[in-house]
Amino acid sequence: MKDKLLLNILHEVQDKEGYLSEKSLKKISVEYNIPMSKLYSVATFYTMLRTKKQGKYVIELCGSPSCVLNKSREIEKFLERELKIEIGETSKDDLFSVYKTSCIGCCDEAPAMLVNGEPYTKLTVKRVKEILEELRKNANS
Amino acid sequence: MQILRETKLEGLRLARKVGRQKVLEILLKKKLGGRGGANFPVAKKWETALGVKADERYVICNADEGEPGTFKDKFILKNNFETMIEGLLIAAYVLRAKRCFIYLRGEYDYLREELEEKIKEVLEKSKMKVSIEIVRGAGAYICGEETAIIQSIMGNRGSSMYKPPHPTISGLWGKPTVLNNVETLTCVPQALVYEDWNPDYRLFSISGDVNHPGVYEWELGVKMSTILDVVKPREKIKAMSFGCFGGIMPVKKSSSVSQETICKGNCQHGAFSIIFIGERHNIVDICLSIAKFYTYESCGKCTPCREGTIRLVNLLKKIKSKKVNEGDIKLLKEFAEHIQETSLCGLGQSCGNHILTSLKYFKKDYMRYIK
Ligand code: SF4
Ligand code: FES
Repeated sequence: MKDKLLLNILHEVQDKEGYLSEKSLKKISVEYNIPMSKLYSVATFYTMLRTKKQGKYVIELCGSPSCVLNKSREIEKFLERELKIEIGETSKDDLFSVYKTSCIGCCDEAPAMLVNGEPYTKLTVKRVKEILEELRKNANS
Repeated sequence: MQILRETKLEGLRLARKVGRQKVLEILLKKKLGGRGGANFPVAKKWETALGVKADERYVICNADEGEPGTFKDKFILKNNFETMIEGLLIAAYVLRAKRCFIYLRGEYDYLREELEEKIKEVLEKSKMKVSIEIVRGAGAYICGEETAIIQSIMGNRGSSMYKPPHPTISGLWGKPTVLNNVETLTCVPQALVYEDWNPDYRLFSISGDVNHPGVYEWELGVKMSTILDVVKPREKIKAMSFGCFGGIMPVKKSSSVSQETICKGNCQHGAFSIIFIGERHNIVDICLSIAKFYTYESCGKCTPCREGTIRLVNLLKKIKSKKVNEGDIKLLKEFAEHIQETSLCGLGQSCGNHILTSLKYFKKDYMRYIK
């Protein structure tokens, strides 16, 4: 596979469908002649590729030192409390999946998180509350 | 800032005018070293790849910075990306490469569309017949390591590989491949065009307990007091962590910062990232956050790193739960040393630095938890 890059193919499918379902992987497997075992081995290696259904919004909260120094733990606890889930889970309404991630390169605006890949920085509990409300609204409209 | 100087394709024009050999000579004379940490002369790297007989060569821009506390490449991607593309094109010209890749970390995917547009613009203006493709990383830190990035682009798991062969000799699809990071490539046209270009300027990423975190440019050997004056600690500073790999040290105002101070000269990764840690924090907390980084990011290929990093996290958690005695602290140290000695790549080999240094300088913070 020299012409098309597998990582980009997987990303494109995930962009469209939210995650890499078995069905989609099978399609890729046939189209590019890559065994399913290989596809799973690659897809599960990368934390940003997901082989299970996700919430509409995937939240990745940074847990690296600059964010910890700027109280990311409070944000973490708030998210768990507010969404009634633990890190790594998806909320009951299927809206939010929450993960902890390594540094996302926003350390000068810590604490920070990505929501579906978009950075949200200088977080406070109050701001995260507003962000969640905003996202909920968008989901329903 | 020197890194923000634009070259507007003047560097590429000059390179084509003087020819490949002369470009290598100039870069060597100007002392341009790789900014990924090793400071290996760029010209030497290119020369090696050029010396290998091959029908194809590749150039990869490593835009996968991910050491905690590091965001200076993002700063360049946002503020002087055109000059970086020019550096990539000069590399392609010198190496006769037709295909270039930019491995963009997944966490910076939100920058991608804009970058793609700029690539198109610069390529058109340059009239070079090469392709530049963005490879979308997917959140694996280890893919910043050069053998892992190659595996990742080829569509494999991004695990580190044994060297040799070195990528410059046999890299992507078995062809000679040159890898440079964002900062290095941006310096290439700048070094060619500007007479007064200074090889000793470095970008620093500063964060933590300071009022003015951000990206700064200082000359190697800059005094710690100068840095502190500018970034303004927001409380009394107790320690600093050089990214993740460089260890946790006390802050000495009179000391100067160079590659040696950051990594004691033996660390592959050391970007100039300083996380300042204020007095009210316990160092064990910070260590735990760094230790977790290693467990997330270990590629899992070798046992000491894969299993050992988990054990380090568990030991640190146990220490925090106050259910330990001094023996556990000794164990922590032995563990860290042992993993570093027996791991394959730079990640495992430095995964205990924060523990070993903090045990040396901030043992008190650990002793608070001892029965
Ligand atoms: S040291 Fe760690 S990251 Fe490096 S190859 Fe071994 S398991 Fe992978
Ligand atoms: S430490 Fe959180 S963004 Fe870098």
